[in-house]
Amino acid sequence: MGKCFSTLQFHTSRCDGCGDCMTACAQAKANTDDQAYSRIHILPKTAGEVVELALCRQCADPICVMNCPSGALSKNGDTGVIDWAESKCVNCLLCTAGCAYAGIVYEAKVGHVAKCDLCDGDPACVKVCPSEAIEYRTAARIFNAYAGKEDMFCRGLSACHGCNSELLIRHTMRMVGPDSVVAAPPGCIPGMGTVGYNGQTGAKVPIFHSLLTNTATMLAGVKMQYNRVGRDVTAIALAGDGGTSDAGFQSVSGAAERNDPILFICVDNEGYMNTGMQSSGVTPYGSWTSTTPVGGQMQGKRTEAKNLPIIMTMHNCSYVATASTAFLEDYYAKLEKAIKVAKTGMAYLHVHAPCPTGWRFPSGITTEVCRMQVRTNFVALWEYDPENGLRFTHPVDRPEPVADYLKMIGKYRHLSEEQIAHIQRTVDEKITYLRQLTVMAATRHPASVH
Amino acid sequence: MTAVTDTSRSASNKPSFVVCEGNEAAAIGVGLARPDVVAVYPITPQSSLVEHLSQMIADGRLQADLMNVEGEHAVMCGLQGVALAGGRTFTATCGPGLAFMFEPYVRTPGLRLPMVASLVTRDLLTPQCVWGGQQDAMVVREAGWIQMYCETVQEILDSTVMAYKIAEHRDVMLPINVCHDGNYLSFGVTRVEVPDQQDVDEFLGPPNTNWHIALDPLRPMGVDPLTGGAGGAGPRNFVRYRKGQVRGMQNALRVIREVHAAWGERFGRYHAPLVEEYRLDDADYALVTIGSMTGAAKDAIDIARDKGEAVGLIKIKTFRPFPLEAMVAALAKVKRIGVVDRSVSFGWNCGPLYQDTLGAIYHTGRAIPAISFIGGLAGADITVEHFARAIALTREAEWGRISSEPVWLNEND
Repeated sequence: MGKCFSTLQFHTSRCDGCGDCMTACAQAKANTDDQAYSRIHILPKTAGEVVELALCRQCADPICVMNCPSGALSKNGDTGVIDWAESKCVNCLLCTAGCAYAGIVYEAKVGHVAKCDLCDGDPACVKVCPSEAIEYRTAARIFNAYAGKEDMFCRGLSACHGCNSELLIRHTMRMVGPDSVVAAPPGCIPGMGTVGYNGQTGAKVPIFHSLLTNTATMLAGVKMQYNRVGRDVTAIALAGDGGTSDAGFQSVSGAAERNDPILFICVDNEGYMNTGMQSSGVTPYGSWTSTTPVGGQMQGKRTEAKNLPIIMTMHNCSYVATASTAFLEDYYAKLEKAIKVAKTGMAYLHVHAPCPTGWRFPSGITTEVCRMQVRTNFVALWEYDPENGLRFTHPVDRPEPVADYLKMIGKYRHLSEEQIAHIQRTVDEKITYLRQLTVMAATRHPASVH
Repeated sequence: MTAVTDTSRSASNKPSFVVCEGNEAAAIGVGLARPDVVAVYPITPQSSLVEHLSQMIADGRLQADLMNVEGEHAVMCGLQGVALAGGRTFTATCGPGLAFMFEPYVRTPGLRLPMVASLVTRDLLTPQCVWGGQQDAMVVREAGWIQMYCETVQEILDSTVMAYKIAEHRDVMLPINVCHDGNYLSFGVTRVEVPDQQDVDEFLGPPNTNWHIALDPLRPMGVDPLTGGAGGAGPRNFVRYRKGQVRGMQNALRVIREVHAAWGERFGRYHAPLVEEYRLDDADYALVTIGSMTGAAKDAIDIARDKGEAVGLIKIKTFRPFPLEAMVAALAKVKRIGVVDRSVSFGWNCGPLYQDTLGAIYHTGRAIPAISFIGGLAGADITVEHFARAIALTREAEWGRISSEPVWLNEND
């Protein structure tokens, strides 16, 4: 398996052109405030254009390195950075001719080419950007850590185009490993072929097509028997929100109350997406679904989603957390805890899974939709355990307007201004409620403040 | 209940004796079968059964894990997990609890999980009712579980142990309901003989619940992938699966006979495995009974015999699979039949046992008059007098004079 490296990512829409990144770069690299010494350059907005950033992408197949006749440029196999050696450079500028990103350019004031070296993995620009327009993307670290682990599902699962649930379960089961028993109640997870069809299976681990109503208890039975015979087996549920919040809730609640040692993952796509996009107990207010349609008398779902992960905390089971596939590091940290916890008590992970098919958005922007859920506080990322209470793992103090999230998604297309304002209000109220819980936790357990 | 230990119990492999109710007898039988997990949820008149088991586990007399769950649905689901992981299981329920369990309950035979569960039979709502009756068990007679109905408290204990051997037989691999009548058997107290544990261990052997279908990382497999649909291998696979399940039920008729015979040889108690014929060989006519009512019915038969009546009795022990061959053999001996049900068939205006008996009569190759009696609903007693009436009416049964209505035995009590 190949290796991936971290790199800088620039978000055009978030940049207001303040230039703090360039100043920070100049200070870090030349100890001056003169932005001419910066190795990244904001390309100013002209009429009808968006801001761009001239920035070295640290390409995997770098043309600059290929063009360099003197060996001054080389791809560092350990860090992924394109290193530039001043002592070898002959100032021919062939490298600049090859770069499509203006990532390496001749700096007249400096007298030679200059390029970003990622500040040894701690980029100065990222730290000063007030709008998070530059991110140091560490997703590759996850790839490097887990890509070598065996994928527990076969190739060619038939999830919809752009579905991130397949991504989620593949990541999850790589980490959980082969000593596990999976239960997948009716829904998208078995629907994509994980349990299989007509005698063939899509998984390399034992997997059971459980009932919509019984997943947690059935797994508790599996785990009880393996505990009895002294075998360490992770009992894990990959369930949808219907099998968790509605028909499956009694089973989940019973298992949580008993703190049965299982790992229950709710893949929340906000409805019965596999069977035709019907409304569930966690479908948000205003959503179009096939059972909360839009017409003269009805404008989508008329009631709020139940706050299932918070309800789960009320059971005092060992671990509860929310997660998003756009924040995989956050997810992996929680999954790691959950796997450990599930040896002795119940761990519940509520993962938000936007559905391009059922929510009506282009399949290419699923991850961006996930990200916007978090950036607008429509989804809050937190974790809870009975001892330490609730804490945010990715607090968003200056959320973007929920309207910007809603407008990405077809199922909200019909919303009136009043409905959008109502949703914004409930999002604000929910985050306030969560903040109060974090304050309570901090008051009870000062040591747990992060 | 007070346990009365027989003073002669000193040598090993000797049975002991206790005086107990039917529910406790079932619990003792379960204990002897050494299940890995017992899942419990209370419901009248079953509750004392799981209370006894819980206490046995609490005392360390039964080395099983106790699963306290939030309802009968969870009971069955949790035990499916245990069985798929290789454990031997037990639970008990009845009436509304069975109705709530229905979704996973109907799946257990298809998974071919050899579970044993007591049905402490109770009449179904509505009217609201907490007393005995067999309507609950009869509602699920086509669910794919084996059903054995007990006549006595001793038979409950013995059948509960035997049920594991039958269910786990490789030619069967199906779940069994050991049914005993709510109130009359569940709370009826008698002296019962308790076999020695070592004898039972040898009789049963180790559990073997998941050799065919398992949730086990050492044998990874997809359990219950989608099967069916039009075209391709789906329908064919489904038919083969169903056919195998039906074959397992038919195999059970042989295995039930073998296991009852082996039990008799080892423990000296020979219970009729499928159908019991009582004073039938020289009978002109007979009653068909099921469950605990049979005791009073036999008394009524004896009284009628004393008066010179040529009447006998056919008792159903195994109702599912239906013991067609044994029933045909018994029915061939008589000219008129009266069938006493403790439940109703809403679709046929008679009792379900009556309906199945008519099916068996067809296989005798000759039609004989048959009357449907319905009694003992909602805890009502079917007395010797009721049976005397049933005997008298059956004796008079003639073609053209049989009512299409059933006779409701307790209607005017």
